[in-house]
Amino acid sequence: MKNFLNVYTDPVYSFTFVCIAFFFMIKYVHIVATKKFGIGLMLSTLIMFILCFMDPTFTKNFYITNDNVPIIFLVFLLAWTTWFALYQGVRNDNRIANGLPPLEGTPENREKVWAWPNLVYTELFAIILGTVFLIAWSVFFKAPLEEPANPTWAPNPAKAPWYFLGLQEMLVYFDPWLAGVLLPGLIIVGLIAIPYIDMNPKGNGYYTFAERKFAIITYLFSWLVLWNFLIIIGTVFRGPNWSFYGPFEVWDTHKVVAANNVNISEMLWINTLGVKLPSNIFVREIAGILMTLAYLVLFPIFLTKKIFNFNGLLGKICNGGFLGQRYLKSLGWARYALLIFLVLMMLTLPIKMYMRWLINLKYIVFMPEFEFNI
Amino acid sequence: MKREPGMHYNTKTLNKVFAFISIIFFIGVLWMFLDDYIRPWKAIQIKSLEIERQALNESIAKENEGIDQEQLELLKQKIDAAQELIENRSTEVASIEKELNLVDKNIYAQNMTNGIHGSKSGEYQFQYEHYHMHGEANKAKEYKVKMEDAKQKFADGKDLLKTLQEQQNEINARLKVITETKSKTEKELNELIGKKERLLVAADKTKMSPIWFLRNSPFIDYLDPTVKIHQIVPEHLTEDRYFVQTPKVDRCITCHTFIDKKGFENQENPYKTHPRLDELAVGRNSAHPMKKFGCTTCHGGEGHRVFDFSAPAHMPQNAKQEKEWKEKYNWHEPHKIAEPMLPLNYTEASCVKCHTGSERIHMAEKLNKGRKLLENYGCYGCHKADGWEHLKKPGPSLTKINSKTSLEFMKNWIWSPHTFNPNSRMPAFFGQSNNKDPKHMVKNITEVNAMAEYIHAKSKTSKAFATYQPGNAENGKNLIQTVGCISCHGVEGIDEPYNKVNSLKGPYLTGTGSKVDPNWLVSWLIKPSHYQEDTIMPSFRLSTQEANDIATYLLGLKNKKFETMKFESINKKIRDDILIGDYFSQFVPIATATKKLDKLSDLERTMELGRLSIGKYGCYSCHDIEGFSADRPPIGPEWNGIGTKFVHQFGFGQQHQIPHRRDAWISAHLKNPRMWDIGVPKPFKDLNRMPNFYLNNEEIEAMTTTMLGFVKQYIPMAGKKNPTANEGFALEGMKVANKYNCYGCHKIDGLGGDILKAYEDDLNAGPPWLVDQGHRVNPLWFQNFLKNVSPIRPYMEVRMPSFNFQEGEVDKLVTYFNASAHKSNFVNSPSIVWESGEKEAAQKMWNAFACTSCHTTGFNNEEAQAPNLHLASKRLRKSWIKKWLTSPIAIQPYSPMPDFWEGGKNPAGEYDESLKGLLGDDPQRQINAMVKYVLSLGKVKESIKNIEASSIEVKETNNTEEVKVEENLPKEETNEEGEK
Repeated sequence: MKNFLNVYTDPVYSFTFVCIAFFFMIKYVHIVATKKFGIGLMLSTLIMFILCFMDPTFTKNFYITNDNVPIIFLVFLLAWTTWFALYQGVRNDNRIANGLPPLEGTPENREKVWAWPNLVYTELFAIILGTVFLIAWSVFFKAPLEEPANPTWAPNPAKAPWYFLGLQEMLVYFDPWLAGVLLPGLIIVGLIAIPYIDMNPKGNGYYTFAERKFAIITYLFSWLVLWNFLIIIGTVFRGPNWSFYGPFEVWDTHKVVAANNVNISEMLWINTLGVKLPSNIFVREIAGILMTLAYLVLFPIFLTKKIFNFNGLLGKICNGGFLGQRYLKSLGWARYALLIFLVLMMLTLPIKMYMRWLINLKYIVFMPEFEFNI
Repeated sequence: MKREPGMHYNTKTLNKVFAFISIIFFIGVLWMFLDDYIRPWKAIQIKSLEIERQALNESIAKENEGIDQEQLELLKQKIDAAQELIENRSTEVASIEKELNLVDKNIYAQNMTNGIHGSKSGEYQFQYEHYHMHGEANKAKEYKVKMEDAKQKFADGKDLLKTLQEQQNEINARLKVITETKSKTEKELNELIGKKERLLVAADKTKMSPIWFLRNSPFIDYLDPTVKIHQIVPEHLTEDRYFVQTPKVDRCITCHTFIDKKGFENQENPYKTHPRLDELAVGRNSAHPMKKFGCTTCHGGEGHRVFDFSAPAHMPQNAKQEKEWKEKYNWHEPHKIAEPMLPLNYTEASCVKCHTGSERIHMAEKLNKGRKLLENYGCYGCHKADGWEHLKKPGPSLTKINSKTSLEFMKNWIWSPHTFNPNSRMPAFFGQSNNKDPKHMVKNITEVNAMAEYIHAKSKTSKAFATYQPGNAENGKNLIQTVGCISCHGVEGIDEPYNKVNSLKGPYLTGTGSKVDPNWLVSWLIKPSHYQEDTIMPSFRLSTQEANDIATYLLGLKNKKFETMKFESINKKIRDDILIGDYFSQFVPIATATKKLDKLSDLERTMELGRLSIGKYGCYSCHDIEGFSADRPPIGPEWNGIGTKFVHQFGFGQQHQIPHRRDAWISAHLKNPRMWDIGVPKPFKDLNRMPNFYLNNEEIEAMTTTMLGFVKQYIPMAGKKNPTANEGFALEGMKVANKYNCYGCHKIDGLGGDILKAYEDDLNAGPPWLVDQGHRVNPLWFQNFLKNVSPIRPYMEVRMPSFNFQEGEVDKLVTYFNASAHKSNFVNSPSIVWESGEKEAAQKMWNAFACTSCHTTGFNNEEAQAPNLHLASKRLRKSWIKKWLTSPIAIQPYSPMPDFWEGGKNPAGEYDESLKGLLGDDPQRQINAMVKYVLSLGKVKESIKNIEASSIEVKETNNTEEVKVEENLPKEETNEEGEK
């Protein structure tokens, strides 16, 4: 079992597992959103950690990096908050389906109470308890003060604080200007833009799932899979040289991982056409440039058009389920363009990950001359 | 309960919850403070208080025993009586005291007034000077008046003060008359019990009183705690923080509480006193006082950390101590500390970082030993190191090897030197843990064949100038033992006590008969430089007969087994494979490489592989070999900085049993350098080539100590030992002394003297100690002596050899001795001015002391027991003769020279009654007379055959006479020496 986990927690596999799990969570949301499932989830996670801590290597790795402590809190808190939101949402959905107002909308819940002491006082309690918690934490786990910085002896692995490790994990697949600047920038821009894109008036003041499916799925996918899952990978499973290390694997600095990645241009000119790389860089990278343009420009347009006249599933796939047109209609072209751009940018991460794993792709466009590599 | 309108919660419940979590919060805060307050070093300081108190109580008890109780009682009674007398005159005393109080008050008041006037005059002076400078005459004038007024007042006030002080003195004198007896007795009492009282006060300070608890309690202990962190901030020393040098802060004394205090030598660590406190380190008068050098300067580690036992990076000496520490202190390996503490057995490594350029360092025995071993084994030949560049290649030159030994011997020797000579300094390259499997072995055999063939073919012919004629082996053995060979060579079959020396400066001599050509050996013994121009092997001025005798003995040492060994001949197929695979095809495809090979003849192929293999194994690093230029860099990596090289930069291979520490790696590497290849798949040409010296653990520890001293650390100029010009000369000369192994025979200022192990019963029969040699001898004489040795002590069997010094080395040696004795290179020819009667007195002493019974040379025909005194005036410095006569044993404790003026007393009684009253019984004058007498002997040397000891020709006038001792010194060199 340990060996199995050591191999299959590698994001090469586990990312797909998590995506599948996410799909099933959405698909069978009415099962997930039950108390039985919630308790079962909590208990199984707890048992899993207890079993893990019985392994000395796991425990040692845990102590080496103090950042692993919040990761354990994170796992439980994430499970709890996600389950709770879905539980409440599904409960309300059922009520609405039965013609009842959502729970938050019942007369007794609409009653207004004073902010003091009902809110402010309890907030103070939370502040004090939070402080006590931080004190206890800092007493048990001393601040990991290390040696004076030494330019010739950098820490290996060099890790950012745990909450940035998702971004750091992205550096495996993207250049720093993309993974460190553009994509995080877009996250912030995207979060700011949500209120302007989201025209759906439903779900105000109450939990719901069915009424805000697209918003919730998109958000949860990026939040759970693309953000938190990568943080966990980055914190727990990345060791020296940013190589993958299973949860029960000793961090051997000398671990060697073969990584011979190739660019799209090399695939095209050398492998497929069997000629030397053209000296003109734009000609050289033409395939990648065209693919990028197609992805960002043609694909959104394509989504709005009914080009092929197939019925059933085939038609859905060929025409993007005609999905775009629906959103284009309800949002207008400006909002649609922004939305589709953000979503496509978000999806570049899993796409690039899979291309790396499946065809050893290094860069789609490789122009070190301009430091433009994507 | 019914909810109030607008309320979700019940306020009372909320208040209760608030109260509850506030208490939790309070407990949390207390806990945090306690966690911060409880520190391991506090417990140690409290325990040391106990230890100190115990020690003090012991000394108090001891002091108490020494106090005479009766006397104490008597003194107390006396004080009481005196007090009574004072009380009888109480009215008088009271009135005097009243007067005194008034005067005291007036003095105080006057001081205040004077202060005001003084400061005002200062202010007005400033104003006056200011306006005067800026040309404001009116203002200047105004302030001048003010200033003068204030100054006048100040002067008057001063005068008044003096008057008052006079009054005070007068009143005090009156009072003293009454209280004198009492105060005197009190002083006596203090002499009797003062020390005890002071000890009591000290002991009292170690008590944990309520005040002590208050001062050290949490929250308050920031004010004035007694239990606190103590630190040393040595001047001029810094801590390397990579981007910045920060002042060094050592807090070790926080726990090592008595490190600088005597009397705690038997305590456990950390309560122990530092060893060699007064001479070496820590002590105020030692060479390295604690306040100036701190602790981590020598010991390494993180001196500012006191968090727990592991924090300062304590390092255990061995696995046993590691285990003990783990149990006792919960010790763990320091995490990412670049320079953890040196384990105690390696601490001497630190000496080198400041004492650079010194080949031998006093009090650093292990370091010196390690350095000597590294020199002897010739490690520096392959590994470059700063400060070792001057040493010649450690191995003998192979450019004329054919005249010395045979090709077959060379092959067998290269293959396994230790089979022939278990003490071989030539290390083993083959049959090691990474190349002993048959697959590698056949290749190695081919390489050895090729190398030997190459060296053989390239060797020049050199003809031995002497012919061996078998002599007396027994006599040869005796000569080896006695003339001094053993100071450098260990020799097989020699007797006790000569075999105790076992020096490895030169090769250990065994199986010589199976190795060398007899004619070569005789020639070599007579004149080593005929074979190798730059050899350090000296000539012992052996006669042909002596050389033949020694050769007979050495040739008798045979290694029959080795003689019969036949080395496997070269395998041409393997030779060609190696040439193509490992060398020729490095940059070209195999087909091209094969073509290249085909062009070579059979001999050329062997020569080519020989040349390449010599380059591969680095033979040229230690030996001069034809075809390898002198500036080809040596084979091994540099040593510089190995003591601070990061641990992760050492290759530990798969040897997980070796702890990841610098010292552990170096030790393991010295033990078996090839171990890092074990389990690592490597092609033949990449195998580790560091050879095996078969060192024992003791040698390894000493060598590791020295290796750890090669550090790259920044030490500010002001923080380290910067040699003065004189010391610089001394260091340079020391290198020469070391190169020629002067230390092998002579104990020079406490260092060296290996051969003396053979003379433990009679040190006087061995080479003399050189104590302050620069002071002892005249430099000019010394220089001539070194260039052209002639015996000084003919009675000795051991000989001062004639060295094959290179250009400038004699000068360096002489300067070395002069500089280390702080003496100038120029000496006045001593002038002798006899005082009246002095000469007769000297003559008397000369006879009474029977000097000629030992210093016979030139005086009688007895066998000499001591140096030739006729040489004294040329050889010795005047001031040194005086020092020698004053106390010979202070200079050479083993000397049979009697200590005539032992402890400065008059020798009259012991030797001859007639010496009584000589020169006013003044030892100084007597010694001076003898010095002059000895110096005057020099002149007589010229006509040595005709003289009798009693009749020395000196011109005499009535009172004084002056004899210039003839010297060969040129006039311009007779500068003053300043010894008068």
